[in-house]
Amino acid sequence: MIAKAVKATVAVMIGGVLLNAGSFDVQAEKDRQALVKYFMKKFSDPVKNRGQFFPYATEEDMKNIMPVKKVEDFRLGSYAFSKVGRSQYEEINEMPPYEDDIDAGEELYNGTKGIKECFPDPAIAGEYPKFDEKQGKVVTLSVAINDCLKAHGQKPWKLTKGKIADLEAFFAAKSKEAGKKVHITIPSKAAAEAYERGKKAYYAQRGYLKLSCANCHVQGSGNRVRREYLSPLLGATTHFPVYRLKWQGLGTLERRIKGCEKNQGENPHKPGSQWVSEILYFMAYMSNGLPVDGPDIRK
Amino acid sequence: MKRNLNIATALALGVSLSISLSAGDAQKMVDEAMKVDVAKACDVKSNGLETVVATAAKFNPAAIELGVEFKRLGIRNKEYIRGLQEALKSKSKTVTLHYKKKGKEKTKTFPVDYAAERACKFAVRALQQVREAEKTWRLAVPGDGYKF
Repeated sequence: MIAKAVKATVAVMIGGVLLNAGSFDVQAEKDRQALVKYFMKKFSDPVKNRGQFFPYATEEDMKNIMPVKKVEDFRLGSYAFSKVGRSQYEEINEMPPYEDDIDAGEELYNGTKGIKECFPDPAIAGEYPKFDEKQGKVVTLSVAINDCLKAHGQKPWKLTKGKIADLEAFFAAKSKEAGKKVHITIPSKAAAEAYERGKKAYYAQRGYLKLSCANCHVQGSGNRVRREYLSPLLGATTHFPVYRLKWQGLGTLERRIKGCEKNQGENPHKPGSQWVSEILYFMAYMSNGLPVDGPDIRK
Repeated sequence: MKRNLNIATALALGVSLSISLSAGDAQKMVDEAMKVDVAKACDVKSNGLETVVATAAKFNPAAIELGVEFKRLGIRNKEYIRGLQEALKSKSKTVTLHYKKKGKEKTKTFPVDYAAERACKFAVRALQQVREAEKTWRLAVPGDGYKF
């Protein structure tokens, strides 16, 4: 019964996104479907799949990992499957620490010259990163906001936290309120090439620890590093900007990527650079069809 | 005399290579790095400090150009190399590194041999990993090289 429900959900998700697929996203769609299949198989029955997917898990770990029934649940990151993590998350979310940031974002939206003209509909969090055909490059929401500010003669904001995170929190809240889903498009050959570069960057091992993003967030997802369970790539971009307890504040996707690169043991790429934008383009595409769930909290 | 010449070479290489490097040049350095036996080339005892620092200074700019420079505990490899070059100039037995971590100025001191070996290994391995990743990245992609 559960297996049937899982299969039906996957089929609906895959079918829905396939209807919108153009010829340039054929490979990306294949990748996304395979990723959905992988995560649903891995977490549909963690105990049964222990030998294949959780070989180093202790008995205590296995008691903590819950089965994931719906693809949509991956928007919660590791709280989709971590019992302890989920209960702490729900407790903190009773009084979300990011509410003031959403209000600050709304003030920025209404009071910053040019922002309303550039983004007349604030429910756009699920549409970024976008491939901008005119510029011939991927543009993240943070970069688009700064491009808008510059076009209106203003100084750009820091791409990782502060005003930009507040404004993005407002955009994400509006998108969530409107029931928006992640909808990343690959409209051209150049966009498909950017996606492929992002994919390669995600799966390539680097840094003095010789880790790829996938080591932790694909194959490693659900496994434990110290006391934390590694989050899945599927749904990774749905809940940004996030309020991290570690940061004691809100941060953008650019900020999170920078942290991951440091953990890998390499000098992080500049936020807003082509490399960062393209890796985010790939990551966001993998979450296509999932509900926008930001802003949210993470440890 | 020979020691002075080596120091001069290491410094000159470091300065010239840290100025700029095109993407094509960086790829050539990857080819060259693939021929290097890291354990042998970065051994300070058998090669001498100056040679090991010169090796690090030769390869690291390509790692920077390709966006794969190593960084450990807040210290970029170029900062190790810069500190080592200063230590060579002053003939110091230790390297004092000044770097920024989370916006704060920090200082750390290492023995020169240790820092040189690390800088050299970091510079060469960063480039070797670029080539290795070209062969291995697909093995981790579900639905492609990764079977489950």
